[in-house]
Amino acid sequence: MILIGEDLNVMSDKISQAIKERNPEPIRECVEGQAKNGMDYLDLNVGPQKKDPAKTMAWLVKTVQEYTDLPLCLDTTNPIAMEEGLKISNKKALVNSASGAKESMETVMPLCKKYSADLVLSVINDAGLPSDADERAASILESLEVANQMGIENENIWIDPVLLPVGVDQRQVLSYMEFIQMIPDLAPGAKCVCGVSNLSYSAPKGLRGLLNRTFLVIISRYGQDAGIVSGFDDELIKLNRGEMPEIVELIHRAMDEEDMDISGLPSKEQEYVKTTQVLMGKTLYSNSWLEI
Amino acid sequence: MTYEAPLEKHPVNIREVVLGEGEKARKIGGENTFPFHSFEGSLPNLQGLALEVLDIHPQNWATWALEPFKDVASDPVDWAKKCVEEYGAEILCLRLLSTDPMGMDAAPEETAKTVRKVVDSLNVPLIVLGTGTEDKDSKVLIEVARECSGKNLLLGPVLKGNYQEIAKAALEHGHAIVAQAAMDANLTKELNIALCKFFPPEKIVVDPTSSALGYGMEYTFSIIESIKQFGLVDKDNMMQMPVFSDVAAECWRTKEARESEEQGILWEATTSMTFLLAGANLLVLRHPTALRLIKKMISS
Repeated sequence: MILIGEDLNVMSDKISQAIKERNPEPIRECVEGQAKNGMDYLDLNVGPQKKDPAKTMAWLVKTVQEYTDLPLCLDTTNPIAMEEGLKISNKKALVNSASGAKESMETVMPLCKKYSADLVLSVINDAGLPSDADERAASILESLEVANQMGIENENIWIDPVLLPVGVDQRQVLSYMEFIQMIPDLAPGAKCVCGVSNLSYSAPKGLRGLLNRTFLVIISRYGQDAGIVSGFDDELIKLNRGEMPEIVELIHRAMDEEDMDISGLPSKEQEYVKTTQVLMGKTLYSNSWLEI
Repeated sequence: MTYEAPLEKHPVNIREVVLGEGEKARKIGGENTFPFHSFEGSLPNLQGLALEVLDIHPQNWATWALEPFKDVASDPVDWAKKCVEEYGAEILCLRLLSTDPMGMDAAPEETAKTVRKVVDSLNVPLIVLGTGTEDKDSKVLIEVARECSGKNLLLGPVLKGNYQEIAKAALEHGHAIVAQAAMDANLTKELNIALCKFFPPEKIVVDPTSSALGYGMEYTFSIIESIKQFGLVDKDNMMQMPVFSDVAAECWRTKEARESEEQGILWEATTSMTFLLAGANLLVLRHPTALRLIKKMISS
């Protein structure tokens, strides 16, 4: 899978402060760290940027590009900041994101076209988040039509099916998996991307990585093309690179088998199996899913 | 050709929980099918219907809610007696409103003695509910557990923040508990997992919390229904506890229940029946007429 590092994010106090103070050092550290770990893109999440959106984005993009050649995923809901970022991106950028809501399509899509950028297009529309796979399909088909008419081809579109936390609605995780398997038929040529870490929002902090990693392996098997992930989760990166084939195989088995005897497995392997069973909807999720 | 309706059989049971001890004891739960589906499986125990008793004189109750108890409302022992002898209650629920830290803030020792008096005067099982204040409840219910050792009371609500203390005392003194997690099956399961590390699952009843008709009853219905489905269909053994629903307090605080006697009684009966259809195993009711209506419906 294509990995997009998520760590340049205003939600992080360190990054937020560095941006405010125009201090390049923490940014350099974060950029070089993620690049060294093998991220394919870097996500620049500057938030809504009510104050000085253009200047902030410009400074951040310039600073980041001093330390890396990686392409950027510009993550803001502010169109002024987005345009500024697109203007000065050295490589073809990924715009994160437009939804199928009318206003969003009208502001974001023309920017993609103008700067020949790739577009993350989510299944959200004016009615909100679709509740199942079929509704997601109906919503994305409508938005794709608008994009195609505007001259943005499927090959430049990364569909975001929108992943909800497993602790909020476990069934939505299943309909996510169902939907991504429909994408090659619905939108030939388009890619599929999501914020993987969103899955574990509200889960105990120390266990979030396990959920994210297991999910990455599951959706990768179902054809997911790209994920926005932590650029510092070494195990996730190894799993994605195929450096832990025995764990990947174990997760696949846990996906396929109804009842799996895990009593003989080491504890780490048991954790991956239990997590797979929760994500596949075989057992009801709770924050203590590993304790039973 | 004759048509045979397909039957859904489940190889597991909701756990049977015993309330009270000795000759007073009765059981709830134990079913391996959905409510009233006697054609598909076994429903060994009728749902438990408890009448509510307060440990202080009720404040701001609708006249028609107080009317049946007005001669006994100042004494929980007399009140309890009337509920059993006159209104046919088979289980009682003593609500320890005197312990509310924002109100009278009664001392745990004093309260425990009152509970003991009520228990000794009764020949039916007793549920004892604190006010839902984690710190205070834990002090009060521990004292109640000790004072009434061996009586197998049902103590609650046991919450995420006080389950260790209360469940430990309940275990030591032989009581069952109501584990409460608000409107969320995932949290219900989480609390059960935490409890079952040291507490027997067959002494746990779960309370997903309730909303009255017109105030979100549908949410309660869905959550009770899904708890039972996770338990029976998915065979999740952390979700096979009987379900408790405190209908009384929720219904009688609604505007509608306070508008007229008939409406109040029907509000309580309708909400109750709805929860029984969702799968609730134990309800707390306030009005004797609502109790009579529900009893009649479930026994026919």
